Amino acid sequence: MKKERRKKGTGRSQRNFIICGLTPIMILFFVFSVIPIIYSVVMSLFNYNGFPHPPFVGIKNYVMLFHDSEFLGALKNTVFFVVIAVVLNICIATFLAVLVKSLKKTKLRGFFRGWFFLPAVVPMVAVCYVWLIMFDPANGIINQVLMLLGMGSPVNWLNDTRTALMCIVVVTLWCDLGYNLVIIMAGLDSIPATFLEAAQIDGANSVYRFFKITLPLMARNMMFVGIMTSISYFQVFAQVQIMTQGGPDNGTNVIGLNIYNYAFRYSQMGYASAMAVVMLGIILVISLVQLKLGKTDWEY
Amino acid sequence: MKKAVKIGKVLILVSGFLIVAFPFFWCLMLSFKSNAEIMSIPTTFFPSEWILNGYKKVLTEAPFLKWLWNSIFSSVTTTAIVALTSCLGGYIFGKFKFRGKNLLFICVLATMMVPFQVTMIPTYLICSKLHILNSMSALIIPYMVSGFGIFLCRQFVENIPNEVIEAARIDGAGEWRIFFGIVIQSIRPAIAALCIFIFMGRWNDYLWPLVALIDEEKMTLPLALNFFNSSLLTDYCTSMSASVLVMIPIIAIYFLFQKQFVEGITMTGIK
Repeated sequence: MKKERRKKGTGRSQRNFIICGLTPIMILFFVFSVIPIIYSVVMSLFNYNGFPHPPFVGIKNYVMLFHDSEFLGALKNTVFFVVIAVVLNICIATFLAVLVKSLKKTKLRGFFRGWFFLPAVVPMVAVCYVWLIMFDPANGIINQVLMLLGMGSPVNWLNDTRTALMCIVVVTLWCDLGYNLVIIMAGLDSIPATFLEAAQIDGANSVYRFFKITLPLMARNMMFVGIMTSISYFQVFAQVQIMTQGGPDNGTNVIGLNIYNYAFRYSQMGYASAMAVVMLGIILVISLVQLKLGKTDWEY
Repeated sequence: MKKAVKIGKVLILVSGFLIVAFPFFWCLMLSFKSNAEIMSIPTTFFPSEWILNGYKKVLTEAPFLKWLWNSIFSSVTTTAIVALTSCLGGYIFGKFKFRGKNLLFICVLATMMVPFQVTMIPTYLICSKLHILNSMSALIIPYMVSGFGIFLCRQFVENIPNEVIEAARIDGAGEWRIFFGIVIQSIRPAIAALCIFIFMGRWNDYLWPLVALIDEEKMTLPLALNFFNSSLLTDYCTSMSASVLVMIPIIAIYFLFQKQFVEGITMTGIK
């Protein structure tokens, strides 16, 4: 009898704890994370321009989107940017991770890992302004060095449709490569050394060992890194907004910038929300692909 | 052959080192040059005369210290609150049973992947309804709960043996006492990693402050750079001085906590 009462008492205090602890968290969570998503979807069905009682337009915003050459261009640029930047990012990061890991001295390994990560910790805005000056066609250091090395005429890096998006890729990789380098190095560390030693004893050289043992064992890791990087690159904004403002000739206009412009400069929030929902859809598909491909039936 | 591979390896690593170093070095050099020298062709490598005009301008002609304070206050406050809400949420989701728990937790997981651009416009409108736009609260309140933080803490809370918590209960410890005394103490590495992520995210955030803040004196450091680049057109020297000053605090923090940074990323594998 007595025991039961005590049990009930603790049950009540646990319930109070759950209610007191979780309620404020869930209120904040719903107001700033869940409701905005629903709100966004609903708003995309209205012609909302910041005035009360916006007219309901159904899927008209979406229909307009797919006839809007500016948006379609932004979509194309974003996909192009994501594919190139993610592939380059993972290849270079893996290559550097293997190189750094092959260093004999632990101190040196730690130093390079820490050094390559450094650009990721500083505000990207500051970095973009530095690169902006370095890319300057007339007095930027990049053109001056290239001309010294024998390049004929200066390249207008950020103002030429052929080079502008690649410059954004370069700056993004410079900023961001360290993240994946650290994650991939951790992945390499988790591969049991016995596998590689066994192959070495069998006479496999280091290139063979990398492609036949390391890479297959890292597949799941790489998949995860690739998906996370794609999702974050889909939201690319600061680099473009600061360095090119989407130009030249909309050649670097990306979805993130397009949404910002329509929502906060042209105050067409309904239309911008429709773009955001399309973006959400794309990222949802990428995440589902990850869930599907991430399922493997082996362990080590 | 073996020697050639070794030389190649060293060459690649050294050039990697230089590629990372150069923009930092260049930013520092430009911040000490006069505008005329920056524009000159061919450019000079080191400043022919080291001048401090840019730094003087940043510190006297703009409320730079105010911006620094705004950045520190909003980032530190948000980080501390997120650490608390994440631990509490993670503990409750990890160790208690209640109705609707799974559904709520799925909500938490589902929002983790949602890009900021999707929630940005509604968050702006909600903040406008709450009358917190253009204030420090706008930088803090929307970020007080992190789905990722709750998820991360739950992963670590699950490793705490139930017996430890039960034993404390039998000894008569209250639920809050268990939370602060046992749970928080046992997942400290996860909290450290989380704090670094949240702090870095808040400190470097650009898009949300750009949207939410209007007044110059309310700005945070990343926006300050915009100020120097739009209002003082082509004043490269001042712009670079501001960049240097903006980068120094976070680089200092990074060198102090480098181990935690790297462990944090390894632990979470996420950005």
